[in-house]
Amino acid sequence: MSNTLQKWLTADAVVPGMLGCGALLPDRTWLSYSFKETCPREQLNNILHQLAETMALFASNGLVPRRLTWTFDQGAVLLVVRPDGLLLGLATQFNTEAAQNVDRLVANFLKLDLSH
Amino acid sequence: MSELPKQHQVLFVDDDHDFLQVIRELFVAWSENVWQVHCAKSADEASGILKARKIDLIVVDVNMPVLDGIQFIHILNQRYPQLKKAVITGHATEEKRSACLSEGAELFIEKPHSTEGLKAVFTMLDELVSWTPQEGFQGVLRQVGLHDVIQMECLGRNSSILEIHNQQTHGRIYIEDGSIVHAVTGNTVGQDAFQKLLSLASGQFQLQPFEPPSQHTIEGQWEFLLMEAARVHDETVSQVVKTETATKTEPLPAAKTSTAVSGFPVHVAETLICSGQGDVLYAWQCREASTRIKLLQHIAQQTTQLGQLLPLGSFDRIEIQLAIGRVVAQVKPDRMIFVRTAPTTANPSQKQA
Repeated sequence: MSNTLQKWLTADAVVPGMLGCGALLPDRTWLSYSFKETCPREQLNNILHQLAETMALFASNGLVPRRLTWTFDQGAVLLVVRPDGLLLGLATQFNTEAAQNVDRLVANFLKLDLSH
Repeated sequence: MSELPKQHQVLFVDDDHDFLQVIRELFVAWSENVWQVHCAKSADEASGILKARKIDLIVVDVNMPVLDGIQFIHILNQRYPQLKKAVITGHATEEKRSACLSEGAELFIEKPHSTEGLKAVFTMLDELVSWTPQEGFQGVLRQVGLHDVIQMECLGRNSSILEIHNQQTHGRIYIEDGSIVHAVTGNTVGQDAFQKLLSLASGQFQLQPFEPPSQHTIEGQWEFLLMEAARVHDETVSQVVKTETATKTEPLPAAKTSTAVSGFPVHVAETLICSGQGDVLYAWQCREASTRIKLLQHIAQQTTQLGQLLPLGSFDRIEIQLAIGRVVAQVKPDRMIFVRTAPTTANPSQKQA
């Protein structure tokens, strides 16, 4: 599973304007990639971890998120949950190819075959 | 000895300190001390005054920071339906006028630039504050929901007859000791009549003194009856939307029920507006306000940290797509907003918390 995800994250998700992306694995570790020096991998992991915690907080309040978008002035951080529990995080800048391709990336992630 | 005239409590809300000072001095003098003028520089400050004392008339400036006058009038209309409301603005436009009146303001006034103009404004406002409505409770369905009145009567364990009418329909709902016991409209009685009356889009209602009905046609808890009526109403609206969608090619007009991108009609299921400190300014169908406030405060805390870690500028909002419905939350230093929408066609048993 990890290999398929790794390939997908480093191929499909690498588009101009993508600050970084990551997936939360079943062992609660992040498989993440940073594409900008302004947002190093350790920092990205920290951000994704915090947002995943917030998602859990929403769920514990009866609001079970499937997709959660934190919107800022210059970009957004998106978290998406698959029915199998796998979580994807994407940090994108507005007015870039990454921002325009978010829906396509999410759709691909949701149908990604991770059975082998 | 002659009886002293009743004092009118009038609250002006305007961020222009000089204007407030002039108003206070002149209007108290012109009213010969019949008016007691209170001033607030923001909606937040005005809310505090409204909580602390009974106000007869509120005059709100349209152009205020944070929460503008139109939004504030909308909130006031929900929270204080009996309060008389006027709007004053330095830049009057037809759009602002329509928006203010449709949100429940009784008067829309352009800010005068002369003492004569101020005198005319005073006369208009004095007419408004002195005006006494007809005996008995009157309301407009568009402004104060029938549901709200019924809920109020039931919670207060009151006995009354709610008479409802518009051009096509006339009916009565009987409430006895806080229980809905009978409803009638035309040849229809019982729960069917109750649901028919509650599904009216517009009309007028009046609370009449209670007289025992000729028969008892409704049983059950009022909460359930109101929920069931809301469900029937939602289904009816949904059917209308489906029919219109099937027969029209142009987009549906904006209405109480809007249509989501997915094509399913949605409605606002819950709204909460708080100050930056977490004081509730407005809550609608928000049964767990304190939990929501904690959630908003958590988001506020997170955004501060994220702002330092992410090179994406300042935080604007969070959008959550739920299994059923959607949540939008905004957190700013001076306000926090939580809005949840849900599909109108959803089975109520599947609704999110």
